[in-house]
Amino acid sequence: MNPTGSLCANNWARSSSLVPPGNGLQTNLSLDPSSFFGVGIETPFKEINQPSPTQCVIPGESKKDVKITDQETSKLQDWDPSAMLNNLSFLEEKIHQLQDVVHMIVNKKFQPFEQPRELVTQEQQLITADLTSIIVQLISTAGSLLPSVRNTVANTSPLIGQLSQLRGINLPFGTGTSSGIQPQNNCENKLFDHSIQNDVPNKCEMEQNHNMEEHEHKDEEDMEEGENLPPGSYEILQLEKEEILAPHTHFCTICGKGFKRDANLRMHMRGHGDEYKTPAALAKPHKETGSEPKLIKRYSCPYGGCKRNKDHKKFQPLKTILCVKNHYKRTHCDKSYTCSRCHTKKFSVIADLKTHEKHCGKDKWLCSCGTTFSRKDKLFGHIALFQGHTPAIPLEENKGLAEPPDRCDAKENSTMVGSMNFCFGSNPSSENGIDNMMDVKGNIDDPINYFSSLNFEGCNFGAFNEFSQPPFEDSDSSFSFLMSGSFNYAPKSGGESCSDNL
Amino acid sequence: MLSESVFCLLTEDLLIRILDRVNSDRKSLRLVCKEFHRVESTTRKTIRILRIEFLLGLLQKYCNIESLDLSVCPRIDDGAVSVLLSHGSVNWTRRIKRLVLSRATGLGYVGLEMLIRACPLLEAVDVSHCCGYGDREASALSCAVRLKELNMDKCLGVTDIGLAKIAVGCSKLESLSLKWCLEISDLGIDLLSKKCLELKFLDVSYLKVTSESLRSIASLLKLEVFIMVGCYLVDDVGLRFLEKGCPLLKAIDVSRCNCVSPSGLLSVISGHEGLEQMDARYCLSELSAPLINGLKNLNHLNIIRINGVRVSDFILQIIGTNCKSLVELGLSKCIGVTNMGIMQVVSGCGNLKTLDLTCCRSITDVAISTIANSCPNLACLKLESCDMVTEVGLYQLGLSCLMLEELDLTDCSGVNDIALKYISRCSELVRLKLGLCTNISDIGLAHIACNCTKLTELDLYRCVRIGDDGLAALATGCNKLTMLNLSYCNRMTDTGLKCISNLGELSDLELRAIPNITSIGIKAVAINCKRLANLDLKHCEKINDSGFWALAFYAQNLLQVSGINFTQLLPLKQISNDSINVMLAKGVQVLTQHSYDDVQINMSYCNVSDHVLCLLMSNLKRLQDAKLVHLTNVTVQGLELALRSCCGRIKKVKLQSSLRFSISSEILETFNARGCKIRWD
Repeated sequence: MNPTGSLCANNWARSSSLVPPGNGLQTNLSLDPSSFFGVGIETPFKEINQPSPTQCVIPGESKKDVKITDQETSKLQDWDPSAMLNNLSFLEEKIHQLQDVVHMIVNKKFQPFEQPRELVTQEQQLITADLTSIIVQLISTAGSLLPSVRNTVANTSPLIGQLSQLRGINLPFGTGTSSGIQPQNNCENKLFDHSIQNDVPNKCEMEQNHNMEEHEHKDEEDMEEGENLPPGSYEILQLEKEEILAPHTHFCTICGKGFKRDANLRMHMRGHGDEYKTPAALAKPHKETGSEPKLIKRYSCPYGGCKRNKDHKKFQPLKTILCVKNHYKRTHCDKSYTCSRCHTKKFSVIADLKTHEKHCGKDKWLCSCGTTFSRKDKLFGHIALFQGHTPAIPLEENKGLAEPPDRCDAKENSTMVGSMNFCFGSNPSSENGIDNMMDVKGNIDDPINYFSSLNFEGCNFGAFNEFSQPPFEDSDSSFSFLMSGSFNYAPKSGGESCSDNL
Repeated sequence: MLSESVFCLLTEDLLIRILDRVNSDRKSLRLVCKEFHRVESTTRKTIRILRIEFLLGLLQKYCNIESLDLSVCPRIDDGAVSVLLSHGSVNWTRRIKRLVLSRATGLGYVGLEMLIRACPLLEAVDVSHCCGYGDREASALSCAVRLKELNMDKCLGVTDIGLAKIAVGCSKLESLSLKWCLEISDLGIDLLSKKCLELKFLDVSYLKVTSESLRSIASLLKLEVFIMVGCYLVDDVGLRFLEKGCPLLKAIDVSRCNCVSPSGLLSVISGHEGLEQMDARYCLSELSAPLINGLKNLNHLNIIRINGVRVSDFILQIIGTNCKSLVELGLSKCIGVTNMGIMQVVSGCGNLKTLDLTCCRSITDVAISTIANSCPNLACLKLESCDMVTEVGLYQLGLSCLMLEELDLTDCSGVNDIALKYISRCSELVRLKLGLCTNISDIGLAHIACNCTKLTELDLYRCVRIGDDGLAALATGCNKLTMLNLSYCNRMTDTGLKCISNLGELSDLELRAIPNITSIGIKAVAINCKRLANLDLKHCEKINDSGFWALAFYAQNLLQVSGINFTQLLPLKQISNDSINVMLAKGVQVLTQHSYDDVQINMSYCNVSDHVLCLLMSNLKRLQDAKLVHLTNVTVQGLELALRSCCGRIKKVKLQSSLRFSISSEILETFNARGCKIRWD
């Protein structure tokens, strides 16, 4: 797995660092200037010389990748970004595969000559065939540089689907026989700088990770309900259960101590030597001013059978890692946090508990059937709907339906169930309510995604990340786990709906 | 013996018919005749009792009671109800269909629920002015599943929750009044309109509801009368909902809805051509042309009240030519009412029975003559402050409007004795108001007295030329008078008062600020006016102790009196402790043996002592409202004792705010628990 792992690390690092800075910045500003500046702009080059102990990057690969994508992006800036992004991403992947194969061939060449001659020629033919297909793809992408943007996007989409299916046989390619491969070498020198940047993927990931945390935790889950990304147009990542539930996401590379926040880790690092005390080392890793076009990342829940699991028939991906964490905790974990006021409601995400506790006991609108409502109009809607139901008046004398008495506890139990059944979504922490919120948000975001001409997917992603700091500490997210964890690029079949959506 | 045998011969149904004809003297009939007593006890359907102690006995006597009125009963509370229900050997509650519990503030939700549950046939409940009532009481009311009529005016604590209870529990409700239930909002009204589809009458006056409520109300298919006085949040948008809804709407009242404009009203009108009653008092500044055109279609309109609106002759002409069946027209305080306008409207509306022209100051005799000629059926005419009306116009009135029952000529300086002479031809007059008519004298009053023998109410407030002679005539002629106001008629003396004492039916007598009357006159009144309930003697400076002694002394006469109002009587500083004491000493027997109508007492600035106060408070068995401020001779202990003695029945008490912290909190809590309001002065 190591080669693949490093490859993807590269992918991300590049995606967030290599787009011409001016362009990226511009896009970001147009999206959400305030939040962008809130995160702070630092030059990406500060971090260049940082060692990245966990990653080993093969310079040749990244150089090659950089070359191609850079060329592409510079050519295609005025383009419908998502379509172009798709094409480029596939090309990129394709080249990655080839690269792997060539690598192996190169390695084998240094070994004693064991391979039969015809196997080598087979490999060569395979590579040539792949290269041809890449060239064809490139040409067709270039051909879509015509005034009628939408049409070409629609036209190219099926191709993407097709390619992605091809891509499904990733590993056979990788382990396949070797053959000489040259096309990328000519640009090595020119793009050296960029490749150096790519050597610090960890930094970038931490950065991203940090930004994840800054999401308002409620806003993540089910974000893409209204997003309707065409299957295959995004990359699906799946974290393991242990990663999702791990308390810490940032680990000291020297002593192994875990932290919830990168900032805390950086503070901790100061104790390991003077080199960690430099302003550059202590500074917040720069949030990249933009990123080159790449696949959107979406996440899958590791729980089998879950709608959020990539194997589900109606799979709906999760948008961010924090979404994954909250979704997993809410749906597949025990609810271990009990409300200290009503001792009835339980939550698995502590932030949900805190939200509930804010409202618990206040304005309990109670129906004679035992259902409670947080809002009076919801109660009245319920009463209007059901024959014979009436509002209940609390037993004690004080007016205003202040707090439910202890003896009502049993009643409230049924109450909770009731409110779920009736789906009034009145409870602020219930999933229904969040779903609705998400829907709205997703719909708002969609037009930006699809219709802003300057909108590269990577930039958009950045904008998503730049939410304000969450008010609580517990919503840890773990981008860095992606490195070690299972990594999935599982293109969904089809592309039948992508033209509609684009 | 003879009479007994005569009635023995009559069959029961004949006796019943006789009883029905005799309204005022039913009591005397049943007291003197066994037959009538028997018939009465079997046929009587309604009962209004003054003291709860008698209820069980009465219910045993009258076994067919369907309507029970406890509104003047001060001691109705949860305990009393539970006693009543547990001791009821006869299950009297089985037949009760109507309960009047207006102002029964002592009754809590527990008692109310017991009472309602005990009456399975209950169809109508009146809990108006039970200010302390809230959702629990509403919840108790909702147990009456057959309820058709409910009056909850001024149940201040009732919220949407309570209304929802009633809406769900009493789905057969046909009439509901929610006036002044200030906590009720759109949500409650919305639910009501969804649950009580049988509603025919709905009053949401003074609620803080918006146009959204009208959207809900518009879905009530059977609604006939909709009253929304003073709903200041409702605007034209709401009225437009009514245009399409409530197909059977017959009456709408949008008075004092400040946000309603003529176009909103027009939309209601255009949707309901069968509208019979339209009230738009003090909400429009003027009628727009489209609204006037809309009025043309309302051929069934009976009652229109547009007080305070600027009108023109043209508008009145439109009304006159189109609303032929108009019975009542209210133009009080309208600007722009002229003779011409009135002539045009009355020439079309020949059936007018009630015409209110209060403060239409430019009206003259010409208009009055036309009214008289055009509307022979006129029963009520209000001409307050119409200064230009003189005997010329009233001549015609007396000639033509022989059905006139009520005439208001307050502050019409043009009215003189001759005018009264003409008016006196309206022999059906029941209510006559001549307040501030300074030009009338005894002669005019004599004309009235001679001819208007059916008069029951007469207002002679500040008719300064009225003297004893006029009153003498009045006493002989109008012997059915029950209400008489002679305040500030300062020429009057004891002689006049003695004449007045011949008015045996008198229940309300106002004698404020008449300097010449003394204890002698009061004595005469005290002896003769057996039904006197309210007596106003404020600023009658010459009445001294002997007057009150007399009132006390003739306690035997006062026995028959159903009550006396101390409101204005006691503030007089001349009354010493002794006189009150004597009154009470005599009164004690009286008051404890007979129902006593006194509801209010104002003892402010009185020189009563602890002892007298305690006596007074404990013996006025029906006392519900006491004002006890500025009592210089009363100590805190005395006051506490007095309050304790009356806390079982009192509903409202005014105390000096300086005593707020010296009176024991236990008493105040008891008062609060019983629903008694304490006002701190």
